[in-house]
Amino acid sequence: MSSHGNLSAANDPRQPSAAKPYVPPAVAPQDLPVDYSGFIAVIFGLFGVMFRYKLSSWLAIIFCAQSIANMRNYENDLKQVSMAMMFAIMGLVSNYFGYARPGRKS
Amino acid sequence: MARPPCFSLPYFLLLFSVVSLLLSRHHVLADSHFEGFEADDDEELDSLSTESLPLRSPSPLTRSEPVPDPVPDPVPSYPAPESQTADADHPKQPSSTSFEYWDEDEFEGLPIEPPSPETTTPRSADSEDTKPSDRSSDPKASPVRKKAGTSPRSSSYVVEIACGSFLIMFVINYFTGKRENENIALAWAAKFAAKDSIFDKNFSLLGVGDGDDSPLLLKEGQNVFKFYASGRRYCQGLLATMELKSRHDLISRLYNMVVPCKDEINFEVYMNDDAMDHVVFAVAKKKAAKVMHKEVRDLQRFASVLSPPNGRKWVAEELAVISESKEVAGDLISEAALDQVLGEKAFEKHGKGFISMHFSDQHLGTHKKMLLFKFALPNVNNMTDMTRLVALIPYYIDQIGRYKLSAQARSKTDTARTKAAQEAYKELQNARQDALQRKKAEKKRLMEEAEARLSAEAIRKKEAKERSRQMKKGMPRVKMTRAH
Repeated sequence: MSSHGNLSAANDPRQPSAAKPYVPPAVAPQDLPVDYSGFIAVIFGLFGVMFRYKLSSWLAIIFCAQSIANMRNYENDLKQVSMAMMFAIMGLVSNYFGYARPGRKS
Repeated sequence: MARPPCFSLPYFLLLFSVVSLLLSRHHVLADSHFEGFEADDDEELDSLSTESLPLRSPSPLTRSEPVPDPVPDPVPSYPAPESQTADADHPKQPSSTSFEYWDEDEFEGLPIEPPSPETTTPRSADSEDTKPSDRSSDPKASPVRKKAGTSPRSSSYVVEIACGSFLIMFVINYFTGKRENENIALAWAAKFAAKDSIFDKNFSLLGVGDGDDSPLLLKEGQNVFKFYASGRRYCQGLLATMELKSRHDLISRLYNMVVPCKDEINFEVYMNDDAMDHVVFAVAKKKAAKVMHKEVRDLQRFASVLSPPNGRKWVAEELAVISESKEVAGDLISEAALDQVLGEKAFEKHGKGFISMHFSDQHLGTHKKMLLFKFALPNVNNMTDMTRLVALIPYYIDQIGRYKLSAQARSKTDTARTKAAQEAYKELQNARQDALQRKKAEKKRLMEEAEARLSAEAIRKKEAKERSRQMKKGMPRVKMTRAH
């Protein structure tokens, strides 16, 4: 390719005067990609708490972990993830340390 | 909207089906919940049903003292308990095991009674044993209950073990995947952005910070890396975005084993306004080209898929060209490009990583004049495979920067563009008018609300004022002048 081999000063394609520093594009909060795993974590956490379903609470924790791993924008995503984590942990705690239900432990 | 590759709606739908499966499984349990069993697991459901069996059989026998005769009767038939309820002494006369649940619903609150004589009898096994049948039933009852008691305990840890181990694997995979992705990105940067590399020779400013030691790569997520370069003729800058597979996320990794995914690198070159003529041009693999032509706005509007012309060398068979004008396409697909990457032979050897190439001066977005290149990243150890592809970038920057359309081509493109510009202008006008109208409606509404809030007196005053004003208007104008 012609320009690839041109290294002489006259043909140097570089123009230091034209250099512009990088400006990261501002992204409005609504345009951010949807955090599916956080949303699913919230749903599973809700199920786990409401219906006392252990597996659901554990799945909520797993999806919370995935959401944290994929977190890009720390300020925006942290709120949803922390809400999901709260639900999941609440579900787990109420499942394991909740009141002993009659007919369960004989 | 930028989405991480391979993490899209089908994945979401898959998970929703899992959710619905869980829900349907839960329905069975919910029913038992409402019946008052409050069972979590199927084992416990079984245990309760087995528990109820020993409850049923001894109770008619324990209660046989006061009511000996009717007790054996209810056992076989359904109407019999109904007749027995008239006794009211022991309304709980469960007839047979098939009507257990019916009895539970009928006689709520009573289930507490039978367990107490039942639980006391095994504890005080020797005292007050009136019937031999009691003793025979107790050993039956206790081992059954013991079995029912232990089975959920031993199997209940499966969920914990499985989920705990998955979480541990997830954490381990997070760190290993993160490091893998970083290695790929650094290997690319070392090959193409370091000292004396192709980008260093073409751009004066590399990286995102100031000064010589600025970091070359910007890490936006565990699988997204950006590289910026600026300071070249014809263009304002170049932004390379590496979107790697989500190796750090175990769930995505498992999903990608089913739905294959590639590491991609996306180059965006921002051309100067005076450096790019009317060019709308794209090259991609055949299927992808059709999709691009349908989805990308400027290609859809201005360009069409070209059929390979006769009599000249053209791109490889697997590729398709979309362009506004054939002349431009012919000029851009030069001999050099064909020999290096796009031609038949070259594409077989070097074109494996080529995904698409799109030049447009009507690009939708913040910047209008852009060149977009999309390539697949090779393995960590095979970064040199991409050299020719990356070399296309400065080549085409110069080509497009120097290219001027011929008169006829320009006239053709001009009409299409003026139409597009007019439409854009009209849309802008409409949008502005809509905004104005909305503001006016808002103001009117606010005023009306304010008026409605005024008290009755104030309304009367206002009305009086209005009337007097009207009368003044109606009266003939009497001109008055000073006397002298």
